[in-house]
Amino acid sequence: MMKLTELFQRSRSSGASKSRKKADLLFDDAFQRKLETLAIVSRRVFAGRLKAERRSSKRGSGVEFADHREYTAGDDFRFVDWNVYQRLGKLLVRLYEEEEDLSVYFLIDCSSSMGFGDGRKFDQARRLAAALAYVGLAKLDRVTIVALQADGSSRMPTTRGKGQVFKVFDFLRGLQPEGETDLGARVTQFVAAHKRRGLAVLISDLYDPQGFENGINVLRYNKFEPYVIHIVDPTEAIPRLQGDVQIRDCETGASREVTVTDGLLRRLAQAMRDYHQEIDRFCARSQVTYFPADVNTSFDELVLNVFRHGGFLR
Amino acid sequence: MSLFGLPLATLGALFGGAALVTTVLYILKLRRRRVFVPFAPLWQRVLLDDDANQLFSQLKRWLSLALQLLLLALLVLALGDPRWGSKNDGRHILVLVDTSASMKSTDVAPSRLGAAKIQLLKLVQGLGAADRMLIAKMDAGVTPLSSMTADLGDLTEAVNRLEASDTRVDLRRGIDFAKDVLTGLERSEILLVSDGALDKNVLRSGELKDTKCSYLHIGHSSANVAVTAFSVRRYPLDKSRYELMIEVTNSNEVSATVELRLLGDGILVELTELTLEPGESDSRFYADLGGVSRTLEARVVARDPSLDYQPSDNHGYALLPERRRARVAVVTRGNTYLEAALLLDEYLDVTHVLPDAYPPAGAFDVTIFDGVAPPLDERGGSALYLNPPAEGGPVARGKALRDFGFDTWDRKSPLLRHMAPGNIQAASGYSLRPEPGDTAVATSDFGTFLVAGKRRGHDFVALGFDPRDSDFVLRVGWPLFLLNTIHYFSAEESDYLSAYKTGEVWHIPAAGDDEALQLVDPAGNQRTLPVRHGRAAYFGDRAGFYKLVTRGEGPKQAFAANLVDPVESDITPHAEITLGAARPVGISGFHDGARARVWIYLLLGVAALSLLEWISYHRRMTV
Repeated sequence: MMKLTELFQRSRSSGASKSRKKADLLFDDAFQRKLETLAIVSRRVFAGRLKAERRSSKRGSGVEFADHREYTAGDDFRFVDWNVYQRLGKLLVRLYEEEEDLSVYFLIDCSSSMGFGDGRKFDQARRLAAALAYVGLAKLDRVTIVALQADGSSRMPTTRGKGQVFKVFDFLRGLQPEGETDLGARVTQFVAAHKRRGLAVLISDLYDPQGFENGINVLRYNKFEPYVIHIVDPTEAIPRLQGDVQIRDCETGASREVTVTDGLLRRLAQAMRDYHQEIDRFCARSQVTYFPADVNTSFDELVLNVFRHGGFLR
Repeated sequence: MSLFGLPLATLGALFGGAALVTTVLYILKLRRRRVFVPFAPLWQRVLLDDDANQLFSQLKRWLSLALQLLLLALLVLALGDPRWGSKNDGRHILVLVDTSASMKSTDVAPSRLGAAKIQLLKLVQGLGAADRMLIAKMDAGVTPLSSMTADLGDLTEAVNRLEASDTRVDLRRGIDFAKDVLTGLERSEILLVSDGALDKNVLRSGELKDTKCSYLHIGHSSANVAVTAFSVRRYPLDKSRYELMIEVTNSNEVSATVELRLLGDGILVELTELTLEPGESDSRFYADLGGVSRTLEARVVARDPSLDYQPSDNHGYALLPERRRARVAVVTRGNTYLEAALLLDEYLDVTHVLPDAYPPAGAFDVTIFDGVAPPLDERGGSALYLNPPAEGGPVARGKALRDFGFDTWDRKSPLLRHMAPGNIQAASGYSLRPEPGDTAVATSDFGTFLVAGKRRGHDFVALGFDPRDSDFVLRVGWPLFLLNTIHYFSAEESDYLSAYKTGEVWHIPAAGDDEALQLVDPAGNQRTLPVRHGRAAYFGDRAGFYKLVTRGEGPKQAFAANLVDPVESDITPHAEITLGAARPVGISGFHDGARARVWIYLLLGVAALSLLEWISYHRRMTV
């Protein structure tokens, strides 16, 4: 298997563009080396057209034994378990788990709030998406990246194989955080356009005026397996503000005059904690995997430790 | 309460304008800083409570405006300088502080003047809101130390500058000054701060009839022992010796034993113990003293310190005239009487010259021409002509005189000091005709025969007869006359004033040609004195040794000054005094805190309110 760094080096030697070099800062060599050790763990197995490194619930021509069933006319004699017939006098057919490919969708929130401040949330979201997408590609999963944007969702065409990782990088690099968040509408568009069910990894700060539940529920109701990665910037809970200010929402532009006091900041921090707990409780109640990703946590720690310990990667 | 700063109308206009601006600025909504937040609905959740408190917030805004207006009102009011009391009831108080020598007495701590200053500072602090005060020190002169002012700082500084001198107080001068200052001023008042040791007789009986006078009495004891007279002089014929007179007075009501110490050149040369009866003055002469070249100081020390509270009159200072050799040229064909008389003073360098050999080599202070009158050499100094001839003498010779004597003479002339020339008789001689500017020192009924004057820059004395033709040479006055004349010429007077008296203007002879001299007083302070007609004038108020320094490497002079004043040494305090027609009463009208400057407290109030507002703002209690 050709390593990603080799592919990357080949790409660079073949005369990559300046924008590619800029992307290197976000997806540099060290970043890419770590990706090769990761794998996505999915709690559900979906049927696929191609054999991949995932076990499917469909019994088929795989190599790993799954079960027996009684022989019926038309079954392939090669799968009859003659040892059982000799002991029990019954014709039983061996069933094998068939390995199939998995559709993995990465839904990236590209609203203005993701780029708030110095854009660390959006960068973190893109790096996580890139990492997870690479792992999916490496396992021959069908990887699709969808950008949830205010003017509709844009997507990177479904691809497979880690040689396609630069398409992922290029797509992610071209994304800009702008516009309002409406997860419900954007995810509805996504569901309508993607009939093949699979793992839907929603990467967002979940700042949705219409409610963060809408988008997740749409995925649930349409048989996708939602996996929510909540990008969290703790500084947003304790803004460095004092005195008389006019606050303005970076997406909707809604404004309000307010006098910031220590008490108000304390209440704001408490409201932020309540909001996070609300999300957590909702996901737990809905059996949706929820993972808060702090932007202050280094990418290495986040991917190699937190995700692995959290059962997301192995 | 009255306003001593800006008038009320101006303050009202100021407050109105400033309050309007403040209110407008307060009502105008300031453009707030715009801050983007990632998710406004979270803020909305938090601010729901604030919306519920909107009415209270508005109320706090108005309270804040009221606070601002209160601060503004306090500031404007401070500009008005409000004070307690009426603006029109102010007094004009002239304070005459006795700073004479008696105020140095230590019967009250730290001294009478020190106690007076403490009392005076309290009075200054107790001045009424509209009162004005002028503080002047009064000793031999009157020196105002402040203007007629209400400024407590100036008055306090004036009080602190008060310093006692070694002089007698001149009440006449002080009262005249007070009357001049208070002329035309309403509610005027003289406050006399003194121990009452004043010569009240200098005031006329009807004086100060319409002037309110107050009296702040200082002191309680009259115990004192003082040097009330002190003088010293060298003997004319033996300048290495001197005689001294000193008078010590006991002002106590009991006898006092004192030590009298004489210090010559700083070294104890005489120690005498005296016992003085109450009120006794003991005058003592110390004759034929020697061993001292320059300074003499007398000190009296009471055995019992409680019998002497006045330290400044325990000293007497004197400076002996400086001894130096005078160079004398005698142009004579031989005169035994003259030569013998000149032998009496060992400080004379005498050179004998025959008339034909005149002028001799060298420079001289004095040239004595005996019966001859050649042209005076430029280096010959001053000249004494004995029986000058008709030609060449400094004055024209008149008619011949026979059997004449000193019928009239200038008794103050230094030429005839210590002499009684009335019975000197001359057999023959000539009258002299003094020119304008000359002085006729002695005349007979027939004409002037002793003249002093100046010719071509040289002093001269001319005697119109040959001493050998008289009994002058047989008398003790003859060598005295010669030595007086030589000392007069060489500015070495035998009646050299050993000390000046403090409280007077001194006209100090100045050596050299400088137009100004540096005077160093006993405390080491230096000041420049202008020289007019060869003398430097100075009002001396300190006892002790002084120095006069010329510029460059010129000669240094020294002299002494003494208090020696029996009046000032009588330190008996007087609780009640009479000033002319006025009988000064105790002080009144001074109240602590009357001059409290309200504006300071107003500003402090503003500062305190601002601090509270600042704290409440930053604690977000008023926003």
